[in-house]
Amino acid sequence: MAHRSRLGWTMLLLCLLSTLVAAQQSSEQQPSPAFHNDVVIKGGTILTVTHGKIENGSIYIHNGKIAAVGQSVNAPANATVIDAAGKWVMPGLIDSHSHIALDDDVNEPTNPVTPHMMMRDAFDYNDKAIYRALAGGVTTSLLLHGSANMIGGQAIVIKHKYGLGRDELLFPGAPQSIKFASGENPKRVYGSRNQLPATRMGNFEVMRASFIEAREYMRQWDDYNAKVKKGDKDATPPKKDLKLEALADVLRGKLLVQIHCYRADEFLTEMEIAKEFGYKIRAFHHALEAYKVADKIAANGVAIATWPDWWGFKYEAWDGIPWNAAISAHKGVRVALKSDSEDVTRRLNQEAGKIMHYGLTEEEALKAITLNPAWIIGVDDRVGSIDVGKDADITIWNSYPLSSPALVDKVLIDGDLYFDRSLPGLGLTHYKEVQ
Amino acid sequence: MLKKIIVLVLLVAAAGAQSKKPQSTPASAPHGGAAAGPNETIALKGGKLLTISHGVIENGVVVMQNGRITAVGGAGTAIPSGAKVIDVTGMTVYPGLIDSETHLGLTEISADRMTNDTLENSDEIMPHMHVYDAFHAETALIPVTRINGITNAIVSPASGDTLPGQDSFIQLAGPSATEMLVVRDIAMPLNFTGQQRRNQNFDQAKFPFTRMGMAAQLRQAFLDAQDYEQKLAAYEKKKSSSDEKEKDKAGAPPKRDLKLEALLPYLQGKKPVVLAAEEPNDLQTALDLANEFHLKVILNHVTHSAALLDKIAATKLPVIVGPIYEQLKESERYDAVFRMPAELAKRGVKIAFASYDAHQARNLPYAAGYSVAFGLSPEEALKALTLNPAQIWGIDKDLGSLDTGKVANVVVANGDPLDVKTDVKHVFIQGQEIPLVSKQTQLRDQYWK
Repeated sequence: MAHRSRLGWTMLLLCLLSTLVAAQQSSEQQPSPAFHNDVVIKGGTILTVTHGKIENGSIYIHNGKIAAVGQSVNAPANATVIDAAGKWVMPGLIDSHSHIALDDDVNEPTNPVTPHMMMRDAFDYNDKAIYRALAGGVTTSLLLHGSANMIGGQAIVIKHKYGLGRDELLFPGAPQSIKFASGENPKRVYGSRNQLPATRMGNFEVMRASFIEAREYMRQWDDYNAKVKKGDKDATPPKKDLKLEALADVLRGKLLVQIHCYRADEFLTEMEIAKEFGYKIRAFHHALEAYKVADKIAANGVAIATWPDWWGFKYEAWDGIPWNAAISAHKGVRVALKSDSEDVTRRLNQEAGKIMHYGLTEEEALKAITLNPAWIIGVDDRVGSIDVGKDADITIWNSYPLSSPALVDKVLIDGDLYFDRSLPGLGLTHYKEVQ
Repeated sequence: MLKKIIVLVLLVAAAGAQSKKPQSTPASAPHGGAAAGPNETIALKGGKLLTISHGVIENGVVVMQNGRITAVGGAGTAIPSGAKVIDVTGMTVYPGLIDSETHLGLTEISADRMTNDTLENSDEIMPHMHVYDAFHAETALIPVTRINGITNAIVSPASGDTLPGQDSFIQLAGPSATEMLVVRDIAMPLNFTGQQRRNQNFDQAKFPFTRMGMAAQLRQAFLDAQDYEQKLAAYEKKKSSSDEKEKDKAGAPPKRDLKLEALLPYLQGKKPVVLAAEEPNDLQTALDLANEFHLKVILNHVTHSAALLDKIAATKLPVIVGPIYEQLKESERYDAVFRMPAELAKRGVKIAFASYDAHQARNLPYAAGYSVAFGLSPEEALKALTLNPAQIWGIDKDLGSLDTGKVANVVVANGDPLDVKTDVKHVFIQGQEIPLVSKQTQLRDQYWK
């Protein structure tokens, strides 16, 4: 977005045009995924995340799922063997806060309540950022609405199968998440236009008013449905309202609520409002002051998705400390490290290494970029660890992954190879540049 | 030349730390460089010394006295009696890291304008802006940075102007700004990345709207300065003439012009310009311009100029590399920018790393560490944080390696200095141990119970 101001509008138009052309070109060049039926990854040090480290272990993949893992596995003789001797093997990394592949359409900053914005409608599956994250070992991302609005839009969960078509990148069966925000961003966006909200008081009033309206909407539908049930043929249905439907889905517990929130007092207010209206908060995102009220966050079963060490970029980030993750984890909060950045998503392993330096154990650090973000997204039964029955989303590294000199050698998603560093060009298996 | 004794009052920023009494008389240093610290002699014993200049010494000894390193050697190295001996067995000992571009002391909270003094954006040509006039020595960011082993840095204005002002070289501890500003006006950024244009939109276009405009504006600024220089010289010549008639002709001196005056040391080749360009076209345009005016050049960024690697090497100019995390061009392979430090070093280019940041300057060593993943040798990577920048900035007599006689900016860590997992255990600046305390550690200690 920053670059938009420095490009002229003429340039911007040119950019948009060229993007359109590129999108059209690459949509025609997707080979079908050469699904490996049987694959064995052999001989690496496996970081399972859930049950420790297996030296010189093997993983048998059948039909895209992990079928066996251990010192040795039974696999058919004709299985494709990936030699991982001397390598490190871990689950694909998971980024629970990303705005890539949305073609800059991250915020609909025209109303503080826009729960009916569907990120899927902006999903640019040809965005190279998906590839660059893949090359850093990321296999699943949650693409969220921005933080301009108190109640933003609904996210999509993708697998980084770069080179395939749009629908093939969507994580099948992943639950729907919705983005909320709080604090400086909404009040700045609307306050600068002399609109509500311009303060934190306004922020939360907007939220409460929205849920009261949604309750009324639900009541009207309940009345109508009750009448229909009683056989009242004259009953007229209330008008369907996309926005209120979406808010009602929050109150019905159908959506995972992901809240952008920095300050300690705001976590508490958010949890009070959730209690008042009867919905659950899945995770606080950014959550820089979580360490100040970590016991209360833990007691509410809310996770945090944070950066290891970002701070000071605005006043509500002034008390950010790199020990936030460790203090929160030690008080029982489920902690994920996320990127919120097209850059950082390429090196989440480095962030996890760094967080060990700030007090998290290796096991916690590993979980912070795999199983915990998977839980935040609601797909922890499918991905995030090397366990039998889970999707075979696996990364193979040239050295210990949570350290500076580590590089991704190969990335498998659903048992199929999507990135291989040893390949020429971009290192992709399902994508070809249009010449 | 600073003549002050270093007192640990610098730890005021770290609040609550007891200051120690200064005991020694100072020694002056070249370049207005570091003065000596108090007379406590400290010996680090048993560590693995990464000297940078003369290899690795296992189980070594470093002695620091009067703010300087007085001995570096193996286990048998004599430790003066009365020295405070710190056992650093199993630890790594290395020179303090140098960050070759930061905004430390110019910003506190990025989004709060009143806490920012990073850029004078009313005009593109602002060489007379001196960061030392804005440098906030008591910033909370400096303690956060130095406890990760960064002891010196270039403080630079932000890059929104082609000539945004002049850099200072700082030490990340000292009693006040006076002592921390080790070299004022050490160099001048010359930015040509396309991002200095004033091109909000076509209807309200303001010069310079294009690269042509920026280049012409720069060229005119240097021509104006040359003209100013000539007028000054002509006046001086007449003024100092032994011929009274000539002397009378001198008249009034040319009106002093701070902007043009600021450019003179650079036109005279006395100080380097830090020439920032990312893409090959910009790099060549800016280099042509620098050559036209015979400027002494340190290259900066060259992020997307892989196509010019051999040409860059042929210039023999040093390069401040990065940020290696810069976003890629559409067609680039995922590691195109990550590989740049290794590709430059491979061709014999002297490289130095920079964080280009303030809040996250503490992560400087990790950029070097990540460059190792992409082919840079670990030795070269560490050198690019120590001796290389010391040489590039002309302060290698004082800094950049563990050598007798150098300023005792020394770091002790429990592993590879470049690895994200490593913890810094001791930081010495001018031979004084810096408590590992910052605004952030205080919050940690308050809440981690």
